[in-house]
Amino acid sequence: MKTRKTLLAAGIAMIAASLPTLANDVVRVSGWGGDNVVVVNTLINEVLVDELAAAGITVRYEPVEGDFAQILTNALSAGTAPDVFYVDSFWAYPVFQSGKIDPVSDDNMAIADELIPSLNEAFMHNGQLMGIAKDFNTLAVQYDLDVFDDAGVEPPNEDDDWNSFKSKLQQVQSNLDDVYGLCVVPDYARFAAFALATGWKPFNDEGHTLLDDRFREAFEFYVNLVDDGAAVLATDLGQGWTGGCFGNGDTAVAIEGAWMIGFLRDQAPNMYYSTTSIPKHPETGDRGNLVFTVSWSVATDSKVKDSAHTLVGLLTSPKAQQWVLESGLALPSLEALGDNAYFQEDNRESITSRVVFEGASNGQVEPFQFAQYGGDWKAIVDEALSAALLKERTIDDAIAFAQQRYDRLTGRQ
Amino acid sequence: MTELNAEMKRELAAVRRRQASSVILMYGVLLSIATVLMGTFLFALMASIKKDPLEQPFQFWFEQINPVNWGTAWKLGRQGGQDAWWGGFGPGGDVTFYLSYAAPTTVELEDPQIEVPRRAPGTGMAAAVYRDFAADHLANFQVTREDGPNFEVTNELGVAEEWHQARWRVSFEHDNEGPWVERVPLYSLAPLTQVLVDSTLPPTQLERRGRVASWENITPGALGYVFNNYRRVFKESIDLNTGESLFVSWFKNSLFISFGRVALTLLLATTAGYALARLTFPGHRALFFLLLISMMIPVQVTFISNYLVIRDINLLNTPWAVIMVLVVSAQVLIMKQFFESVPREIEEAALMDGAGYFTTFYRIILPMSKPALITITIMAFQGAWNDFFWPLVLINSPTSAFALPVGLLSLRNAYGGAGDWSLILAGAFMSTVPVLILFMVFQRYIVDNPIASGSKE
Repeated sequence: MKTRKTLLAAGIAMIAASLPTLANDVVRVSGWGGDNVVVVNTLINEVLVDELAAAGITVRYEPVEGDFAQILTNALSAGTAPDVFYVDSFWAYPVFQSGKIDPVSDDNMAIADELIPSLNEAFMHNGQLMGIAKDFNTLAVQYDLDVFDDAGVEPPNEDDDWNSFKSKLQQVQSNLDDVYGLCVVPDYARFAAFALATGWKPFNDEGHTLLDDRFREAFEFYVNLVDDGAAVLATDLGQGWTGGCFGNGDTAVAIEGAWMIGFLRDQAPNMYYSTTSIPKHPETGDRGNLVFTVSWSVATDSKVKDSAHTLVGLLTSPKAQQWVLESGLALPSLEALGDNAYFQEDNRESITSRVVFEGASNGQVEPFQFAQYGGDWKAIVDEALSAALLKERTIDDAIAFAQQRYDRLTGRQ
Repeated sequence: MTELNAEMKRELAAVRRRQASSVILMYGVLLSIATVLMGTFLFALMASIKKDPLEQPFQFWFEQINPVNWGTAWKLGRQGGQDAWWGGFGPGGDVTFYLSYAAPTTVELEDPQIEVPRRAPGTGMAAAVYRDFAADHLANFQVTREDGPNFEVTNELGVAEEWHQARWRVSFEHDNEGPWVERVPLYSLAPLTQVLVDSTLPPTQLERRGRVASWENITPGALGYVFNNYRRVFKESIDLNTGESLFVSWFKNSLFISFGRVALTLLLATTAGYALARLTFPGHRALFFLLLISMMIPVQVTFISNYLVIRDINLLNTPWAVIMVLVVSAQVLIMKQFFESVPREIEEAALMDGAGYFTTFYRIILPMSKPALITITIMAFQGAWNDFFWPLVLINSPTSAFALPVGLLSLRNAYGGAGDWSLILAGAFMSTVPVLILFMVFQRYIVDNPIASGSKE
């Protein structure tokens, strides 16, 4: 592993070293704002200063606030798109399909080969890799140790399956008056942790969605958590996500990603929490998970395409990814960093990062993307969950209605 | 006669009663409306000061508006950073803070674990801004215990219990080598069996189901204590390359765009309005109808073509792009109608004195049009100040070039996801100030109309 890393680093260094002869290209880089501004800005202005100078690249960083997908689509249409930009796996398909994205360069394929395989899957289009994953997230279970201590219940752990996990939540809810087990949301982005564990897949080989018995099993489990005294609807606590309920101390666990680290630093800086993997399916023994990832991609119309690809190589290089990991601001996509000492530290943030990192290659993992259907596909399962959780439809009706809608969407006869 | 006088007096009294009740009713209605409007404003102001503006139910009395705490914050600010207003922790800082815990005498009163934690922000640009921590520059950190007298408490069952209490004195100094630091957080972990009954400043939050009392900043200074969210708007939205406050840049950009739009609107609306009101030329009516039609075209229909034009003349990402993209049909219409209401005799008198069209327009008509000009100035300023669509489409980078509404969106993106709405609310509240000032300064001119005295029929 070390040899591969060394070779990779040497390769990157050679590429960078061979470029001073190139003209000093200005490469426009864009992504969404928020926390990402800190990460990218520091990479460009501190971590990679020497490499960029050696490569003859001047970076013009243009973070976008607001609806990045919409603004990028406009910019690609108007011919004003930046040279290098984020593409979220969730809306990647139409962007890749537009022909406006240049596939990953041969030089950068060496980096892609070192990434966690499920991350590359998210950016494959017609057999070509269209971007290099810059970072990623998966789902994990965060739990409040004080709550479990006060309730006299053993906290969740790696060995939990759905039943033991639910039993613990029920015990907490029963033993404490002011805390619920979990708050549930009608959102595939959380429900998938259970649905995928059954072996169910969003699309079959024909590209159709079948809500079969495996889906139904997960659907029943998730929806019945409330009736079974293990959970509450997030909206009943005035929240829209499981992390919000958890941060307020209203629930014993949350099912979220590593984004909880920053959130809890601000909202509950002293919370005594830890993180474990998503519970296993009681029969298959598998865990389900989603990979939320974003790529660095290069515009086909870029006038500085070579420099743009070089920049992507530098932004995803081992040096950059090591810094990203140690900053605690995001999870790097390089598989070899799984052995990094940061993950072995015994503190809540390192533990959370490690569990989320491992989630990308642990069990039935699917990228958070839905082919050409995007949000339309997700909306159907979300609405089915919402209807069942709010008792507007029975579980049977909700699934049957969703199946009809999927058949229409995917053209299944 | 006497009876008549008495009758008249009764009638007069009745009339006065009716007048008084009408006045009371009218004032009541106006006061109610003002209360509702001001109430919303005050509600927004209070929410923008709170640590957690989303708390349910909304508390109208909270720590930051308690004058006792202002005095304490003042003293602590002076102790920590030599700045009673904005506090902090710098060379020469020498801070003393007290915490008192109590517990039933049946339970031992344990020493709480008190420390100044190294608390790094987790979201937004704050993660990059705050790189120095008070915890790294402490000297002579000491915690001493002073036991207090026992007291009696009636518990939930109505039974009197004897409690004992103790006060912990926390003191520390700045190491005089490190930099000035804005915040000094404090953390106190105690067993659930004992209760925090008093502290120099009330804790910002209780965590870990009551085990931990946590202070965001124990040397805030008086203004830093009350207006911390406002300070955060300036401190936590900075250009990472230049270190300048983004909020100030956004504010300046919005002012520039608004003044530019107002100037362009006044120029176009007055000249076009006067031409349509007073000049007759071929196509005059058709032009007027075109003007009306242009008001009915949604901006979404023309925005792509406008965007491409702006791009081709290299004005993207400049405030000039937003200034240029304006539709002044409504303002032209207002000015046209106003100019038509000006008696022609006034212009004819000017013409008799040898003034041309431009002189008449500039020297006679415009000065008389103050109410209409102020109306369209306010409309144009408010429209430009609050405009979100065009600045969002036309100015994407750099972040310091944003207009204020788009800047506020970026704050929402950076902090809203983490539920940190206090900073966003403070920014939003500040963004309302210029329009408020404009209304307050100019509202009396809107009702003032000199035309009535311009001619004598």
